[in-house]
Amino acid sequence: MIGGLFIYNHKGEVLISRVYRDDIGRNAVDAFRVNVIHARQQVRSPVTNIARTSFFHIKRSNIWLAAVTKQNVNAAMVFEFLHKMTDVMAAYFGKVTEENIKNNFVLIYEILDEILDFGYPQNTDTGILKTFITQQGVKSQTKEETSQITSQVTGQIGWRREGIKYRRNELFLDVLESVNLLMSPQGQVLSAHVAGRIVMKSYLSGMPECKFGINDKVLMESKGGKSGQDEGRGGASSTKTSIAIDDCQFHQCVKLSKFETEHSISFIPPDGEFELMRYRTTKDISLPFRIIPLVREVGRQKMEVKIVVKSNFKPSLLAQKVEVRIPTPLNTSGVQVICMKGKAKYKASENAIVWKIKRMGGMKECQLSAEIELLNTNDKRKWTRPPISMNFEVPFAPSGFKVRYLKVFEPKLNYSDHDVIKWVRYIGRSGLYETRC
Amino acid sequence: MPTVKGDGMRGLAVFISDIRNCKSKEAEIKRINKELANIRSKFKGDKTLDGYQKKKYVCKLLFIFLLGHDIDFGHMEAVNLLSSNKYTEKQIGYLFISVLIGANNDLMKLVIQAIRNDLASRNPVHITLALQCVANIGSREMAEGLSVDIPKLLVSGDTIDSVKQSAALTLLRLLRSSPDIIPMGEWTSRIIHLLNDQHMGVVTAAASLIENLVKKNPEEYKGCVSLAVSRLSRIVTSSYTDLQDYTYYFVPAPWLSVKLLRLLQNYPPPEDPAVKTRLTECLETILNKAQEPPKSKKVQHSNAKNAVLFEAINLIIHMDSDPNLLVRACNQLGQFLQHRETNLRYLALESMCLLATSEFSHEAVKKHQETVITALKTERDVSVRQRAVDLLYAMCDRTNAEEIVGEMLEYLESADYSIREEMVLKVAILAEKYAVDYTWYVDVILNLIRIAGDYVSEEVWYRVIQIVINRDDVQGYAAKTVFEALQAPACHENMVKVGGYIMGEFGNLIAGDPRSSPLVQFQLLHSKYHLCSPATRGLLLSTYIKFINLFPEIKHTIQDVLKSDNNMRNSDVELQQRSIEYLQLSSIATADVLATVLEEMPPFPERESSILAKLKKKKPNSVPDGSEQKDQMPKLPTAQMSNSSDSAQPTSINLMSQGESSTDDFLDQGSPAASGAASASVDLLGLGTPTQTTAPPVGGGDGFLVDMFDTLTTSSPAPATNGMDLGGLTGGAEEAFKKFICKNNGVLFENDLLQIGVKSEYREDLGRVWVFYGNKTSFQLNAFCVDISTPGDLATSLSVQQKPVGGEVEAGAQVKQQFNMACVQEFTDAPILNIQFMYSGAQQKINLKLPVVLSKYITPAEMDSGNFFGRWKALSNPSQESQQIFKASAPIDIETTKSKLLGFNVSVLDNIDPNPENFVSAGVLHTRNQQVGILVRLEPNKQAQMYRLTVRASRDRVAKILCDLLQSQL
Repeated sequence: MIGGLFIYNHKGEVLISRVYRDDIGRNAVDAFRVNVIHARQQVRSPVTNIARTSFFHIKRSNIWLAAVTKQNVNAAMVFEFLHKMTDVMAAYFGKVTEENIKNNFVLIYEILDEILDFGYPQNTDTGILKTFITQQGVKSQTKEETSQITSQVTGQIGWRREGIKYRRNELFLDVLESVNLLMSPQGQVLSAHVAGRIVMKSYLSGMPECKFGINDKVLMESKGGKSGQDEGRGGASSTKTSIAIDDCQFHQCVKLSKFETEHSISFIPPDGEFELMRYRTTKDISLPFRIIPLVREVGRQKMEVKIVVKSNFKPSLLAQKVEVRIPTPLNTSGVQVICMKGKAKYKASENAIVWKIKRMGGMKECQLSAEIELLNTNDKRKWTRPPISMNFEVPFAPSGFKVRYLKVFEPKLNYSDHDVIKWVRYIGRSGLYETRC
Repeated sequence: MPTVKGDGMRGLAVFISDIRNCKSKEAEIKRINKELANIRSKFKGDKTLDGYQKKKYVCKLLFIFLLGHDIDFGHMEAVNLLSSNKYTEKQIGYLFISVLIGANNDLMKLVIQAIRNDLASRNPVHITLALQCVANIGSREMAEGLSVDIPKLLVSGDTIDSVKQSAALTLLRLLRSSPDIIPMGEWTSRIIHLLNDQHMGVVTAAASLIENLVKKNPEEYKGCVSLAVSRLSRIVTSSYTDLQDYTYYFVPAPWLSVKLLRLLQNYPPPEDPAVKTRLTECLETILNKAQEPPKSKKVQHSNAKNAVLFEAINLIIHMDSDPNLLVRACNQLGQFLQHRETNLRYLALESMCLLATSEFSHEAVKKHQETVITALKTERDVSVRQRAVDLLYAMCDRTNAEEIVGEMLEYLESADYSIREEMVLKVAILAEKYAVDYTWYVDVILNLIRIAGDYVSEEVWYRVIQIVINRDDVQGYAAKTVFEALQAPACHENMVKVGGYIMGEFGNLIAGDPRSSPLVQFQLLHSKYHLCSPATRGLLLSTYIKFINLFPEIKHTIQDVLKSDNNMRNSDVELQQRSIEYLQLSSIATADVLATVLEEMPPFPERESSILAKLKKKKPNSVPDGSEQKDQMPKLPTAQMSNSSDSAQPTSINLMSQGESSTDDFLDQGSPAASGAASASVDLLGLGTPTQTTAPPVGGGDGFLVDMFDTLTTSSPAPATNGMDLGGLTGGAEEAFKKFICKNNGVLFENDLLQIGVKSEYREDLGRVWVFYGNKTSFQLNAFCVDISTPGDLATSLSVQQKPVGGEVEAGAQVKQQFNMACVQEFTDAPILNIQFMYSGAQQKINLKLPVVLSKYITPAEMDSGNFFGRWKALSNPSQESQQIFKASAPIDIETTKSKLLGFNVSVLDNIDPNPENFVSAGVLHTRNQQVGILVRLEPNKQAQMYRLTVRASRDRVAKILCDLLQSQL
């Protein structure tokens, strides 16, 4: 289990240090600083083993978070915990920066005491934590409240307290997907997958039970002929009705036994924002953009680059924040760029041409051409041509994921499914979206 | 020199401060990428960069490179800067090149051209910059390209002094990196004459250069001696005001003096009397100056002065010719022994150690004995104490040995652990080497074991036993002392080992005293038994069986001990076997058999002390070899010692496995079936090895037991193998051959390159000999070929079959070759082994006598008295008898002689000759054609140390041959 947790700034100074187990000494703090943060060659592995002690670290901007242990722990669990912890910190005081950490160190120690007990991760749900760790300091609580917290933390439905009341029962559902792609210069897909998350914000009274339906193949088939309902908006060319989800995982509120037996997703949601589900698909992904690169080396001194970007979704939809990044050779001495749409610029500090297009409709095509001048060097190595990468945001789910229904039942209070106002939003973003050139 | 001020590069300053302000590594990389792109566009775009801009960008690139990033452009611009006339631009250009352009860069040609231009320039600043660059890079290509320019610059009349100085040092650098390239021949005399230069800086630089050249080719530069001496005398005699700039804290040119003194150490003392007197004067002046009161209290002053002084003393020691100087040096060092400065005391002790080995100053060094002993006791720094120990060791001789050894023993109790083992060895050696009275020696060693038992290595206590056994006069004393030492409640295991062994051998000598009656002795030893390791217990068990022989009255007590479950069922196989066998031996064998089996040990052959070998192995360079042979010390002997000690390792000889185990740990001999056998009597500690009573006795076993302490020192001095002519035998071959007459296995020959071992087996008239060639070097031996020749009529008497051996012997490997030797008829000569191989290009030849002699084909025969004399009389024909009377080569000892006879493959028959002192032996010689009966009578005369040897054989000539052979062994 986790023996200790340290937070460093970019210089390697310790901001937060919390030791949970005796086998981790003070010198572990220095060992990590010396061997990882100050190591001149950048340490790439997130797990470092120094003197039989394992350090798991993640980096948020200039802040290093490191979990230390002497035991053989589940590394995935430790990283999951570290990410959760940054989420919790972000929920409390916004961006995780050195300044914020220094200003909130009391709070952070309080959180650390709560979410890790003797090195074992505990409840990391922000909503719950906020009920008893408040930024304003703990209010003097009445006896009932205290006992309520106890029953809540230890009870069956630890994520929701009783007696919540809203005048307007509302819920928001975001389907957030990130598309990862690696494509050959000829347009052949070498690898592609979508990682999706469903984030829900619920403002519902009482203890409502929700039922959630999606167009997953397994769930659809088990329901028989119920398919073929609404196709609605989005979904470019796909006429298929169901998708194949490779794997998924749910928030702890989802009743897994029901999912196993009845193939339905039912749950009592926590109050406020939470992540209901995560999933991954690899088949039948509709790629929103395609890049057609054309790179020609004219002698040793010059290079010509022509890039065509094609959008491949319904013309009625608009992609936003489109950015294409074209790497340039290390001996570039000058670049001339011409593009019809958007703005393109050679950024020397990043060794790349960055081409930004604010908005781009579906089924469109844009072109950029650049002339790169090269300097002769005595380095005989050939330029490796790193892939062209792309960033964007589109208002649909590239995996074809659909929310079929979301029903709310609250037997005790007198509001029905129809009274709840529901919002559903699809956002597709780029993950690592690369085309070789 | 133009100043850099006002010429500062603002862009560079801004860039550096930007980098310094970067918060993270990523930000730094971004800034650098940006700057690199900027520089690239500048270098690419307008070709009209002026010198200042080029310099600025090259500087930035250099800075980025120093931050750890790869720079792959800008080299051309840097080379361009070299042709600029501005100092700063040229300087930056050279700087970039010496940091960034590797020795095998394509641009090197251009760079060398630019350097050559600068070397030819009139501006000394440019020349110096170019020289500096050459010295920084110093590549082979540069050495080749500039091999003429630089020496020319050095000896040319119109170069200014500072340039000459740089040129000398640059040349030195090139010589060090590529010594073969620079042809110095034509410059020799002119370079030597640089020592006469007006400018002291030039002389200092040249002195370093010349010393390097001298090391390579002393003959060619011999002329420098007189120049160096005269220069030295000018410096030494000058007052400190003469050499204005080169006087360092009132010492005139200390660096140059030291260099000159070092230079002179490369040559023997000058032969020219004038030069010699002058040098002696110089050295005397230096010694005189050391006596003067210091001109300054600053530490720099005394450091400089002492540096010169110590170097002068080194030179005096090196020359080792002038007793007066040596004694003065010694006295000077004596003063330093009590100096406040630890470093000085250390250096003084170290130099004295060298002085002690010189015959002239040995006595003078001895005067300081008290001081050195005080140093040993009071010095705070362990390295200084170590030097004091070395010095004491070096200054020790017969007159002061007792005192020095006493002091060292006393100090040993409180000595540091790091030097204890070495001190123990040194004490042991000194005690042995200078012992007048062996009781003193025994006392010292026993004290040694008592004080520092853990550090006493096996060799030390082996040695004390060897000496006690060989000296009748100390045996009683040793037994008494050991007995007393063992009475201490806690004593070291090594003490128990020595005690066990000595009391087992000589316990009877003190048994008369009721305080050390046999039972008391036994109980004393047995009280230690359970605290000891299995090896020691084994030794003690052997002691017990010897006690049974010596003191039959305590036989039952000992048998009870042997019978105890603790021994009979010990988990250690060796102990179990020993106790069972000894028990059986004690209960079955008669007193007579026991007495024969457990006879007193024969004396050990005298050899070089194995302890000395060990010390040499441990510290090859720090042991002065005693004053008699100081000059041979440097390389050869030490190398030999370390080589010979290798022979104990299994790779070099595996044929000796039995013998080896007996030397490594002589308790551990192969353990055969019991039932006391004659041949076991030579076993060191009781019953070991061969017990077969039938023929042929395993000759190797007993041969080795006699040889027991010998593996560390092995064979005689290794002869040189180069330049031996084909016919003659390689040196040492004859002696080695003789060793083998009475044994079958062992090392026949050994030198630095090769070790040759022999193992042989004989059955009647057939013999099989394996020869093992072990390559001791770390190189392959090529064209390895072995040829066997049979001189004279040997070809007809001995039929030899040879198996071929491969052409190469890998480094450290061993190659085996088999010979089959069948005896056709009697023969005198031995076959000769001609070994030839190539080692590092040189042909090596080794000629050895293969130890195949007639006696090997004998098998022993048993017969009773009547039978023997019947045959003896039958062979009364004069041609059948050979008799010799000769002086014994070693003190006559019954057991040794007996073992020799057994090694000669004849039986030793008891109760035949009326005089029990005499030996009577019989055997049968097998040849292909017939069997020849052999009868031997050996009559020793202990008073006169003479032998009369009579051999009778049923065939003519045989008696004569065998008689000669046997005589050589006695």
